[in-house]
Amino acid sequence: MKKIEIFKLTSLNREPLLVEGYLFEGSDPEAPSVAIVGAMEGKTILPLYSASKLIDFLKNSISDSKKILGNILIIPSINHYALNINERFWPLDKTNLNMMFPGYDKGETTQRIAKKVFDAIEGYTHGIILETREDLSTCMPYVKEFKSGFEDLEDAKKFGLKIIHYKALRPTDTVSLQYNWQLWGTKAHSIVCPGETELNENSDEIFESLVNYLNKNNIIKHKFLSAYESAIITSEDIEIIKTPKSGIFIPTKKIGTQVIEDEIIGKVLHSLEGKVIHKIIAPCNGVITCSYKNALILENAVAFRIIKNS
Amino acid sequence: MQIMEIFSSKLPVGENLVIKKSRFEPLAKHDGSKRISIVSGIHGDELEGQYVTYLLASWLKANPNAIRGIIDIYPGVNALGIDSITRGFPLYEVDLNRVFPGGEDEFLPGQLVHALALDVKGSDIAIDIHSSNIFLREIPQIRINKEFSNATLPLAKELNCDFIWIHDAVTVLEATFSHTLNTLGTKTLVVEMGVGMRLTKEYGFQLLTGILNLMKKEGIIETDEAFEVREPFSSEVGDVFYLNSPTSGLFVPALSHCDIIKQDDKIGDIVNPLTGEIIETLFAPHDGILFTLREYPVVYEGSLIARIFGGSDEKN
Ligand SMILES: [Zn+2]
Repeated sequence: MKKIEIFKLTSLNREPLLVEGYLFEGSDPEAPSVAIVGAMEGKTILPLYSASKLIDFLKNSISDSKKILGNILIIPSINHYALNINERFWPLDKTNLNMMFPGYDKGETTQRIAKKVFDAIEGYTHGIILETREDLSTCMPYVKEFKSGFEDLEDAKKFGLKIIHYKALRPTDTVSLQYNWQLWGTKAHSIVCPGETELNENSDEIFESLVNYLNKNNIIKHKFLSAYESAIITSEDIEIIKTPKSGIFIPTKKIGTQVIEDEIIGKVLHSLEGKVIHKIIAPCNGVITCSYKNALILENAVAFRIIKNS
Repeated sequence: MQIMEIFSSKLPVGENLVIKKSRFEPLAKHDGSKRISIVSGIHGDELEGQYVTYLLASWLKANPNAIRGIIDIYPGVNALGIDSITRGFPLYEVDLNRVFPGGEDEFLPGQLVHALALDVKGSDIAIDIHSSNIFLREIPQIRINKEFSNATLPLAKELNCDFIWIHDAVTVLEATFSHTLNTLGTKTLVVEMGVGMRLTKEYGFQLLTGILNLMKKEGIIETDEAFEVREPFSSEVGDVFYLNSPTSGLFVPALSHCDIIKQDDKIGDIVNPLTGEIIETLFAPHDGILFTLREYPVVYEGSLIARIFGGSDEKN
């Protein structure tokens, strides 16, 4: 393994931001390669944790380095400045690095960062982006694949995560890393990580999916845990359950639970008086994949998403 | 004048998020009269537009007999952001001008912009007033998407701004207010002027004159008052030159905003407050008008320092 400098940026008062990639060189020149981009934003932990755990795994758990067949580049974080002060986006101008691709070397700071990252990861056979959910919900980790014309759903199944969310491309997605990476010929996928700020017993699921993916693509050879057979989900498969009232939100069913039609899955309390003002009922049989994260819920907010049984 | 709620949502703890507009209508109905919508505060850290809508509303109140059409004023679209010095929509940290057209089933920011778009829809003209951000100071200018310039450029020239910047269509900007409303058939102009978190009174009056002039030309007001407007320069007849900081540090400007400058004139220094050194001195890349200048002194490598509009180099 060797560390390579992706970019270094000085700052008025902070220590320079040094972003490095960890390159594991494969033993088989014919093998496919992969680049993995971890934390692009702060405030959440799973992209960083999953990427750094994978680095440790490749370094210390694969006893025979010949079992790493293809080149693997992991950049665990490109935004230490945000992570260290619990900011979400670029701390000075609050721009989202994942809306700066393919980057521009003569542009604004975050466009320049994106350009340097993009230069470093261009040309890899496969690409993985560890993203954080952008709304106020938390969810099971899933693969996000845009209907961009470049997507490879079969390849996305190799993570062995339960869900692949196959979704329409919005105008703002055209400046995302996934889209631009695909445009330049890499089979790029995003894993959407729940926006957790703490680690728990489920926190290794994303790391494990990365190992599955590397195995299935013959980038590494390593017997590992079994995986799920992913279901490809489009917006038609998802039932959105909103709350008509704002207040204190108490989910009574966990993410990943099978629920049955008419079952109570959560409630909303009047925030100042404590009484139950709304009961949230499952409208169908299915699995809860996503729920509102904050205890204070907004009016008309999506409290749950359920993938309908079919 | 009527005050109307265009969007309301009950927040969790004892408060409603309410977006309001004021509507000015003629005392007697006029057939075929036009409607104009003036929008500001889509970005919560931009306040210049609120000053303009204040000036406009007070003019209309003082001149009710001049009103021939409908004037809708939406001063504070990102109400939660403006009152908390937050550019994006609080909670979601999302730029409201990247979530249009929105929808009823979307997250709260999407619901809000959807309500705004529906309410403005049907206007003949809309003006979306921005004031750059806290980092840059801009002279009063109109930004126009090439795709809609046939319809919007003639109106832009009436607005008493200094500069009209016509830019190419970019997919990501399809999520803006102006693109959405232009697509819905409302001729929509984007004004950028001044700087975030501050008011620039002279610009407020300058744009007020422009808006009154446009409304008079369009028959939305009828008055003997004459509005003299300046002739803007336009990016059609020249180029925009960018100066980005080559390094990180503290930017100290050497000239004032809006100056006419020559190539190689000093624009400022990037200095190191710890050592007393000048890290880099910045010079103008081209002759022209300094229409954008860095206001916020902290810069990183790449931070925009200045934009200069200069005549095209091709001489023929
Ligand atoms: Zn703005």
